[in-house]
Amino acid sequence: MLKRVVLLSLFLFIPTIAAAESSAPHEIRIGTLYAGSGAFASSSIPQYQGLRFWVRRVNARGGVFVKAYGRRIPVKLIAYNDQSQTGLAGSLYTQLITRDRVRILVADFGSVLTSVAIPLAEERQILLIDPTGTSAKFFRGNNRFLILTGLPSSGIWPTVLADFLIAHKIGRVAIIYSANDFTESQDQTLVSRIEAAGIHPVYNHAVANSTSSYTLLLHQAVARRAQALIELGYNNNDIALLQDLSAGGMHFAMVFTINPGLRVPLFLKAVGAQALGGTFTYVTPPSLAYNKVNYGLGLAAFKQAFEPWNRKHGNVPLGLSVIAGYNSGLIIQKALETAKRYDSVALRTAIRAVSGRLFTLDGLFKVDSRGNQIGEPIPLGQFFMSQEKLVLKVVYPAKVATAKPLYPAPRWGSGRG
Amino acid sequence: MVVAITVLAYVFIPYGYNNQFLLFNMMMYMALAQGLNIIYGYTGYLPFGYVGFFGAGAYGSALVIIYLHWSPFPAVLLGGLAAVLVGMLLIPLFRLSGAYFSIANLAAAEALYYIIANPHLASVTQGPYGISLPQVYDPNAAYWTMLAILVFALILSGLMRRSRFGLALGAIRENPVSAEMAGVNVVRSRAIAWLLSAFIAGVSGAAFGWYISVFYPETVFSLSITVFAIVFVLFGGSGTLLGPLVGTLVLYGAYNYIGISTPQYFQLTYGLLIILLVLFLPSGLTSLLRKRGIDVP
Repeated sequence: MLKRVVLLSLFLFIPTIAAAESSAPHEIRIGTLYAGSGAFASSSIPQYQGLRFWVRRVNARGGVFVKAYGRRIPVKLIAYNDQSQTGLAGSLYTQLITRDRVRILVADFGSVLTSVAIPLAEERQILLIDPTGTSAKFFRGNNRFLILTGLPSSGIWPTVLADFLIAHKIGRVAIIYSANDFTESQDQTLVSRIEAAGIHPVYNHAVANSTSSYTLLLHQAVARRAQALIELGYNNNDIALLQDLSAGGMHFAMVFTINPGLRVPLFLKAVGAQALGGTFTYVTPPSLAYNKVNYGLGLAAFKQAFEPWNRKHGNVPLGLSVIAGYNSGLIIQKALETAKRYDSVALRTAIRAVSGRLFTLDGLFKVDSRGNQIGEPIPLGQFFMSQEKLVLKVVYPAKVATAKPLYPAPRWGSGRG
Repeated sequence: MVVAITVLAYVFIPYGYNNQFLLFNMMMYMALAQGLNIIYGYTGYLPFGYVGFFGAGAYGSALVIIYLHWSPFPAVLLGGLAAVLVGMLLIPLFRLSGAYFSIANLAAAEALYYIIANPHLASVTQGPYGISLPQVYDPNAAYWTMLAILVFALILSGLMRRSRFGLALGAIRENPVSAEMAGVNVVRSRAIAWLLSAFIAGVSGAAFGWYISVFYPETVFSLSITVFAIVFVLFGGSGTLLGPLVGTLVLYGAYNYIGISTPQYFQLTYGLLIILLVLFLPSGLTSLLRKRGIDVP
C-alpha cells in the first residue's frame, strides 16, 4: 500500500516539479536607468551604485531566491544612461520593457526622471520600484504597479522638525523653499503643522531650484526678526545658503537645511566644518544606524562590505542615495522570496504584505495602498564642534536623541561667530 | 514619394519594432527639424529658442485639457495656436539678425520657461510642480497624431520649397535688401514662415505632452530639444525636404543605438561622431548627392 502511495505521489508531483523547473527563467531581469551626466547625475549615480551592489551580493550567493520557482535564480541588471533627459529616459524605459523584456523596473533618481516611467509601467503592467521619486501626484491616482522604496513620502519628512519648533516655542520662523515637488510638499506639511499650534511663519518664500545666491533672502529673514531659518532645497541650494550665511556674518538662533545630514562628506567638502557647526538637519542613514534591522545588512556590515567594492567600482560618496538604491534591491528580493507567482501583481501584493514588518538599514518599510512610503518620521540632528571636529548627533525626538539640542545655536564659524 | 515612404515606415515599423516611445521621439524630431527648416533653411534665421514654441504648445494644450476639459485633438491644435501667439509676440526680434537674433530668441524662450515655472503662478500653470494628464493618457492615439503632424510638416515644407513663397524666402535668405527691391514683402513673408514654424513646434509639443502625460517645465523647455533639432537639420542639409529627415534618422538613430548598446561610452562616441561629420560634411549629408549632380528634394 505504502509503495503504491509513494509511486502515485511521484507520478503526480514529478511532472509538476519538472514543469515548474522548465518554466523558470534562467535569470531575473531588472531594468533601470541612471543619469551619467546632467542635473541629476550626482544623486543618480550613487543610487545606481547601491542597486549594483545589491545585485553583486545576491549573485555571489547564486542569485535571488524566487518562491514561485522554489530556487535561486541569478539577477541580471540592465541599465542605460538617460543623461538626465526625460525624453531619452522615456524611450529607454520603453526599451527595457518592450525589447529587454524586464519584469521589474527601477526608476532613475528623483521625481522628474521617474515621472515618464509611471504611465509606461501602468500601461504595460510592470512593477515599478521608485527609490526616490516622492512627488505626491504619483500617489494620487490609481497606480497599481508603483512602490516607493528608498525614501518616505516628502510630506512625512518635516513632522519631527515641526514638533521641535512647537516644543521649543520658536515663534518666529522664516522658511525658504525650492519650488519642486519634494520640498514644496515639505513646506506645506511644516506650515500646516506649526500653524495648527499657533505659529505663523514670518516669511515663507519659494525660490527656483537653480537659486545660487541667498543673501537678499537672508536679509529678508533678518528684517522679519526670524529666530529660526528653515531652508528646504536640494544640495546646491543648501550649499549656497550655508556659504552665504557664513560669508555674510548673519546669525539665527536656529538654521535648518535638509541635505547636510544626508550627505555629510559632500557638505564638509563644499562648505567646511565651521559653516556647518550648529546647523540643524535631518539625520538619515548612513549617518543614522537603526538597531532593529531584520532584513539585509545592518549599517556597519553594509559599510564594511560596500566600501572595498565601491573603491574598485566608481568610488561614489556614501550617502542616502546609495542606501536608497541598495534598499530598493532588498525590497525586490523580499518580493521575489515571498510572491506566489512571478508577475507584477503578485510581486506588488507580496510587497504590500510585508509592509510594516520589514526593517532594513533604511528604516521601517511601510507603504500605503497607493505604494506611497509612510515609514518612520525622520529625526532631527545638529552638527556639533568638538575639538575642531564636526560631529552630527540626533537631538530630537528625545527618545532617539544622542545629545541635547543647542538652542539658540552658538556662533562657531568664523563668519557666523 | 518622401511623404509616402515616411507614412508607410511609421505605420508598419511598430509591427516589427515595439519601442513606440523611440519611434514617437523620432517622428517628433523629424517634425521639429522640418519646422526649424522652414525658418532657418529657407530664411536663414536660426532660432536657438525654438524650444519655447514646443513648450508653449505642450502647456497650452495641457492647460485647456485640465481647466476646460477639452479632448486631446482640439487641445493639440490649440497648443499650436498658443505657439503662434508666442511667435507673434516675438516678431519684433526680426529687427535683429545673425547671432543677435539667435541669442535674443534663446532669452525669450528662457523667459517663457521662468514664467511657466514660477511657483507664484502655480494656480494657473501648475508652476514647477508639473502637469499630469492621466485622464487623457492614450499613447496610441498620440502616436498617430504625431504622424499626422509629421505629414503636415513634410507637405508644408515640400510645398514651400516649390512655391513662389519658398522662392521669396530663399531670396530673403540670400539678401533681404535685394529681395525687398525685387518686390518681395520681406516683413510679411518672414513673419508667415516664422509663424508656420512656430505652429509645427507647438503642435509637436502638445502631442508630446499628451504622449508622456506627466511632465515638468524643464521637460518641455529643455534646451537639448532645440540643440537636437538644429543638429539634425545641419547634419542632413538645410533648405531641403530630405535633409532634416535623413539627419534625424541617422543621428537620432545612432544616438539611441549607442545609448542602448554602449551606454558607458555614450557621450564620447556620439561627440566624436558629430565632430567627424562637421569636419568632413559641413553642408550636410545631402551635399554628397548634390556634388554628384543629383537633385535633392
